[in-house]
Amino acid sequence: MLSESVFCLLTEDLLIRILDRVNSDRKSLRLVCKEFHRVESTTRKTIRILRIEFLLGLLQKYCNIESLDLSVCPRIDDGAVSVLLSHGSVNWTRRIKRLVLSRATGLGYVGLEMLIRACPLLEAVDVSHCCGYGDREASALSCAVRLKELNMDKCLGVTDIGLAKIAVGCSKLESLSLKWCLEISDLGIDLLSKKCLELKFLDVSYLKVTSESLRSIASLLKLEVFIMVGCYLVDDVGLRFLEKGCPLLKAIDVSRCNCVSPSGLLSVISGHEGLEQMDARYCLSELSAPLINGLKNLNHLNIIRINGVRVSDFILQIIGTNCKSLVELGLSKCIGVTNMGIMQVVSGCGNLKTLDLTCCRSITDVAISTIANSCPNLACLKLESCDMVTEVGLYQLGLSCLMLEELDLTDCSGVNDIALKYISRCSELVRLKLGLCTNISDIGLAHIACNCTKLTELDLYRCVRIGDDGLAALATGCNKLTMLNLSYCNRMTDTGLKCISNLGELSDLELRAIPNITSIGIKAVAINCKRLANLDLKHCEKINDSGFWALAFYAQNLLQL
Amino acid sequence: MNPTGSLCANNWARSSSLVPPGNGLQTNLSLDPSSFFGVGIETPFKEINQPSPTQCVIPGESKKDVKITDQETSKLQDWDPSAMLNNLSFLEEKIHQLQDVVHMIVNKKFQPFEQPRELVTQEQQLITADLTSIIVQLISTAGSLLPSVRNTVANTSPLIGQLSQLRGINLPFGTGTSSGIQPQNNCENKLFDHSIQNDVPNKCEMEQNHNMEEHEHKDEEDMEEGENLPPGSYEILQLEKEEILAPHTHFCTICGKGFKRDANLRMHMRGHGDEYKTPAALAKPHKETGSEPKLIKRYSCPYGGCKRNKDHKKFQPLKTILCVKNHYKRTHCDKSYTCSRCHTKKFSVIADLKTHEKHCGKDKWLCSCGTTFSRKDKLFGHIALFQGHTPAIPLEENKGLAEPPDRCDAKENSTMVGSMNFCFGSNPSSENGIDNMMDVKGNIDDPINYFSSLNFEGCNFGAFNEFSQPPFEDSDSSFSFLMSGSFNYAPKSGGESCSDNL
Repeated sequence: MLSESVFCLLTEDLLIRILDRVNSDRKSLRLVCKEFHRVESTTRKTIRILRIEFLLGLLQKYCNIESLDLSVCPRIDDGAVSVLLSHGSVNWTRRIKRLVLSRATGLGYVGLEMLIRACPLLEAVDVSHCCGYGDREASALSCAVRLKELNMDKCLGVTDIGLAKIAVGCSKLESLSLKWCLEISDLGIDLLSKKCLELKFLDVSYLKVTSESLRSIASLLKLEVFIMVGCYLVDDVGLRFLEKGCPLLKAIDVSRCNCVSPSGLLSVISGHEGLEQMDARYCLSELSAPLINGLKNLNHLNIIRINGVRVSDFILQIIGTNCKSLVELGLSKCIGVTNMGIMQVVSGCGNLKTLDLTCCRSITDVAISTIANSCPNLACLKLESCDMVTEVGLYQLGLSCLMLEELDLTDCSGVNDIALKYISRCSELVRLKLGLCTNISDIGLAHIACNCTKLTELDLYRCVRIGDDGLAALATGCNKLTMLNLSYCNRMTDTGLKCISNLGELSDLELRAIPNITSIGIKAVAINCKRLANLDLKHCEKINDSGFWALAFYAQNLLQL
Repeated sequence: MNPTGSLCANNWARSSSLVPPGNGLQTNLSLDPSSFFGVGIETPFKEINQPSPTQCVIPGESKKDVKITDQETSKLQDWDPSAMLNNLSFLEEKIHQLQDVVHMIVNKKFQPFEQPRELVTQEQQLITADLTSIIVQLISTAGSLLPSVRNTVANTSPLIGQLSQLRGINLPFGTGTSSGIQPQNNCENKLFDHSIQNDVPNKCEMEQNHNMEEHEHKDEEDMEEGENLPPGSYEILQLEKEEILAPHTHFCTICGKGFKRDANLRMHMRGHGDEYKTPAALAKPHKETGSEPKLIKRYSCPYGGCKRNKDHKKFQPLKTILCVKNHYKRTHCDKSYTCSRCHTKKFSVIADLKTHEKHCGKDKWLCSCGTTFSRKDKLFGHIALFQGHTPAIPLEENKGLAEPPDRCDAKENSTMVGSMNFCFGSNPSSENGIDNMMDVKGNIDDPINYFSSLNFEGCNFGAFNEFSQPPFEDSDSSFSFLMSGSFNYAPKSGGESCSDNL
């Protein structure tokens, strides 16, 4: 009662400020205090609807919503939209600027058009993974004249016609992602580049476009980010168009473009000295000497990902000495990465935040120590399948890289409980992958659980020595966990599951092939983990109907089973 | 496109060369408007009105009415005096209007305060524009006299020499360009020239009354050559409407049966007697190649105001009788042949129908403007070119909304289509979709092609127009509309010369 009266005295501005400071627990504030509830209902800008039944009420309550996320409401359909829009007093659509309709497969073009026409200020729409969407839906989207951002990933049915509709209708478009829109061809891209001159971001990944498209794209003067992953019909001829065009280009991604050679990439590089990001994953077999020389000029380069390329110590040395501002380096599956090379590259690039050394099997603790010493800001380190890494290297990591947020040690058989103890000093860890680390046990896990309280993702795939005790420690320590993979951890039982059920934030849980868990454990999880959305119970043979009944009854947010 | 462009540039250059005398005139005007008329308009008018059987008052010269004598009426047989009268009275009206405007300007001059300079120049431009159009009209009016007068031209004067020198300047224009666009522009150039020439000699030596006849001849001759294709002259023939529409052109002199082809007639003639069976009678009537070089024949459309009509200021002749027939049917006749597949497209030439029927239903790429394309890239080129055009999605529901209200049935059709489509849209399997597409195609074609037929009409009509001014689709069609009203093309020429002056 007291608190309520206090808040009554505060002005709305102050309340809003308080609310802004409280990031994580708005919900509890909202629920216990009328004032906060009132303030939030007027200031809240974004909303993610979990269940469609509440949509109308929520929209009425939060009248200033600017961003509406319906991505977890696949049930929304044309009828629902027309009901929503026909409720006379509702003018919630007036202010909406962002619509997330990802995976909202129930919505047809009629409903989509109604929705979009009702939102005059709409600037961003996400219809990614609406696989059934075609030209008619695209034409509905083109009604949003002010649209600046559009994500159409995997709208499989959209053809050039649909793209043309959008290009003509939404001429202010700045960001467009056409990933996996397989029907789109050069003609559509050409028209797009003629009509949408404001484009800054363009993703044409996996389209069947040829170099001709790049000729048109080169005419986009404002383009900054261009992504063409897996465009296997584009070759060096196309990249040469880019050399002269797109003066503001900052990032290019030619990953998995099989026809691209180092000389093509070189032409892009030589035309854009301000390039900040270069992705060439799995498209080159090796870097040619001219390309390496070209890299010397790219002083602004932040991100290089050259996964799958044969590199040498010399190349890494060049990168290390020239690209001083490098923030991310991806050398995943590169052949020829040695301790020496790594040492040379990290000694130059002290600002590295992300380092991907997946499958660089020849690196050892020496390299890890050097990395730890040279890159204190490291936030993400991927060492998957680096078998030679042991607790010796990770000891240094735990000492120096306190900012580390993500660590991937999947399949590093050298990691044991002591190593985990060292790692646990990185208290900022958010994501930790320990899959296939068969040498870790409950003791190591307890170290992690005690110190890494910010952990949200943990992968313990096939960590066969993990048992219920470790999970109990985990459940008490890392209560922010949202994703947990326990597949094939065959020692765990219902007791462990009951511990897990204390993780209230859990949304993704994999329990594949755990023979000892039964319906009782599942029921506990279903009751307590309210946010559970994805649950994998494959090959859990002891779970019977009662477990599923519990799931059906309690876990109302479950999306995938 | 390029030749047109270069020609345009030439035109501009030409018109800029026209400017100095124009400026002179304008300064004149500011001093004394009546004298301006005296120089600018009086002369051409005199020349061309001369043969008119009526008396014409030249409004510009209110003090000095010019009586026109019937000197040459005897020579002129095959021109239409009533049409001429119409033209002249129209011109008279036009000049009156202009006179009023100039009067107004004169009155303003006496007002105490100075006018802003732009306004004055604007007015001057307006007047020059109007004058240009009047001159052009006069010339085209005179053009109708040509065939009859040509024969009478015999004597020359020193002035002609002078003029041909002037014309000599012109010649380079027509040489390098393709003949497709040339005549039109060439003609225009000449017209401009003509107006200069009218000015030049008269300004130099103010003896208009003296030597009037030669003057006239020379002008007419000049006019005629101006309309010609590159230097070689040609004869303009104009078939009558009935002649064009007649199904047969070759008639049997004995039984009167008509044939489309002379060869068929000759075959037919064999039945009338042995004398027609001789090889000589059956052979093609041979062409007299040996004789003097034959005049190239060009044809004019009898429809007044049509660009293919010889009175049109941008007259483009038709090459053959077949061209005349097709042109006349396509442009000035009802479209009586309907496509049996789509039941929407109509044609007036049966060959067009047959061509269409070959492709009907194959034009699956259509634009929101109703135009259909057989190829996707053509559609996309079209869309890239025009603002606001989008590709139309077949079976689209909002097509029905765009319908004009009188097409209720079509609307129903399309909404029905929409609902059908909606049904299968709920479980989209590709096979199903395709089937439906095929089914509904016939229905949906209706409303769409309803538009496109309209559009095509416009296309046919202004086909060559489109090439001269590609970016302005709308203005183009409106121009062609204007042109169909007889002699109402003043706005266009006015606009042109305005832009020239700017």
